[in-house]
Amino acid sequence: MDLAIRDLKLHKGRFLATIIGVGLLFTIVLTMNGLYRGNVHEGTALIAHTGPDLWVVERDRGGPFNEQSSMPEFFHYSVAAVPGVEQASPFIYYPVERQVKGESRRFSIIGYDVFGGLGGPRQLTQGRPIQQAHYEMVAHEKLGVKLGDRIPLGLHTFTVVGLTREAVATDGEPLVYLSLADAQEFLFQRDNQEVRNQRERQRRSLVGGGLTPQEAERLLPLLAPDIHTINAVLVKLAPDADPAYVARHIQDWLYFSVFTTQEEIDLVVRGRLARMSAQLGFFRILLLFVAVVIISLVIYTFTMEKIRSIAVMKLIGAPNRVVIRMILEESLLMTVSSFLFGLLVIHSIADLFPRKILILAPDTLLTFAIALAGGILASVLGIWQVLKTEPAMALGGR
Amino acid sequence: MEALRLANLGKVFGSGHLEVRALDDVSLVINAGDLVALMGPSGSGKTTLLLCVSLILEPTAGTVVFDGETIYQNGWTGVDVRRLRREKIGFVFQSANLIPFLTVRENVLFPLDLVGRKGAAAERRVTELLEYMEVAERAHYLPALLSGGEQQRVAVARALANRPKLILADEPTASLDTVRGKKVMEMLKQIARENQTAVITVTHDARMIEGFDHVYHLKDGRLNNMVSSRYSILFSTDH
Repeated sequence: MDLAIRDLKLHKGRFLATIIGVGLLFTIVLTMNGLYRGNVHEGTALIAHTGPDLWVVERDRGGPFNEQSSMPEFFHYSVAAVPGVEQASPFIYYPVERQVKGESRRFSIIGYDVFGGLGGPRQLTQGRPIQQAHYEMVAHEKLGVKLGDRIPLGLHTFTVVGLTREAVATDGEPLVYLSLADAQEFLFQRDNQEVRNQRERQRRSLVGGGLTPQEAERLLPLLAPDIHTINAVLVKLAPDADPAYVARHIQDWLYFSVFTTQEEIDLVVRGRLARMSAQLGFFRILLLFVAVVIISLVIYTFTMEKIRSIAVMKLIGAPNRVVIRMILEESLLMTVSSFLFGLLVIHSIADLFPRKILILAPDTLLTFAIALAGGILASVLGIWQVLKTEPAMALGGR
Repeated sequence: MEALRLANLGKVFGSGHLEVRALDDVSLVINAGDLVALMGPSGSGKTTLLLCVSLILEPTAGTVVFDGETIYQNGWTGVDVRRLRREKIGFVFQSANLIPFLTVRENVLFPLDLVGRKGAAAERRVTELLEYMEVAERAHYLPALLSGGEQQRVAVARALANRPKLILADEPTASLDTVRGKKVMEMLKQIARENQTAVITVTHDARMIEGFDHVYHLKDGRLNNMVSSRYSILFSTDH
């Protein structure tokens, strides 16, 4: 005879209320799991999708995603000349916030060699890749633009020629692909007034340093800032090349740092995402603890309410295991039902979150196992009460 | 046939100047089919005696022999007392004490389930008992929907489920009016006669014990007067 089911049937109102309350707590725990996984997925998707054999960045920098890396554009020719390198392409990546269709939007710009270079979008959902050196862009669907839209960025207006959805920026924001030259100009170009002011400051410094105004005027173009800067060089290796050998060669002879794609992913996960992981982990533990405490209290109250019935059961000879089984089953039923409710809710609302919520089966199973252990723990108070109950209580004694 | 024998039973709570002698040298023999009433004022030791006979409370002296088995002789003899309660003793309480989340049928089925009696035979026994107690039409009700008298009848049915050798009834009529109380007592008498089950009833109400075989009066822990055999007169509790 299943006592737990019968008891819960009698108290179905409170049982359902507990399931909803604790279930929503489990929803938050599962959301935290999904948020972390989503962040890792989004944070590394661009690296994985770009997927060159090697990333060459400024020496001793973990760039271009984990920290800033900057190098002159022409260095990609030096890298291309290294034995074992089949192709080396310049690459720019930087986050910006600009007005898009009258709304302030954060997105990241990728600049790449649009004429056969590495680093561009692999798959487009609509339109075509960039085919001109200037003023065309491919955008992620999340940016909310359509094919043919004309988007002003900096000093120029760009036409949306393609849309993609394969990867987002490492911070989860949409990507915008531009030609390398456009990306460099957009990144480094200052407005005319700022350029005029800079020139005037330099002219005064040169004249103050002892040059004549004519000499200073001749020198000024040479002092103009170089905008031909990139963040990384993407390398495709020749079919028989040894990545370790090529990487060592670039490090030793060109004085850059070199990472494989997996190392670049590890850098991001261990660097930018590690603290967030710890934060979410702590929050998950706290919420699981709260869920277990709530179930414990509910089970304890359920037990205390039927303490006289328990005394009667023991008096008429019910072994402890019969009553303990009832308490344990109630606790586990409550835990499992709450968890399933939480799972149902998160699967229904995951797409409504602004950031990706990635629910993975191993995470869900692990959380379920922890919740189940918590459910058993939650019944301890009730079971302790059962063991303490004297059958004499049923007769009014002790 | 002897159902229960208590010999020189004693129970002491506390020690030194706090010592309370709840039972003092209590001896009695109850045969199968006997109807026994225990009476006495509050604090006289009735509940203590009932707890000792229920094999819940360990006496401090004497002997308890139940259904031919020595259960206590200056200490428990190692018999599984919970099994004995499950299989051979039925309980009826002051308030029915039915399990509130089980239906009437399930309440009566529960003791059968505990001894492993399941299936059609157990169902037949439940139906038979509910019909006997005239509550068959309430079989699928929860106890809260029954009147006090009906609940007590279900409690008696539960007590009888495993055909016990002994029924212990702790003031079974206290929460009922006189008519319903008498009906429950009549049922207990009928059970004792028909099933050869010994019945020990603790009661304050002298009107309920008409026709009992033995009426014992407890005072200060001593079973000091066996008032009557085949008792049939009313008397005051401080007699």
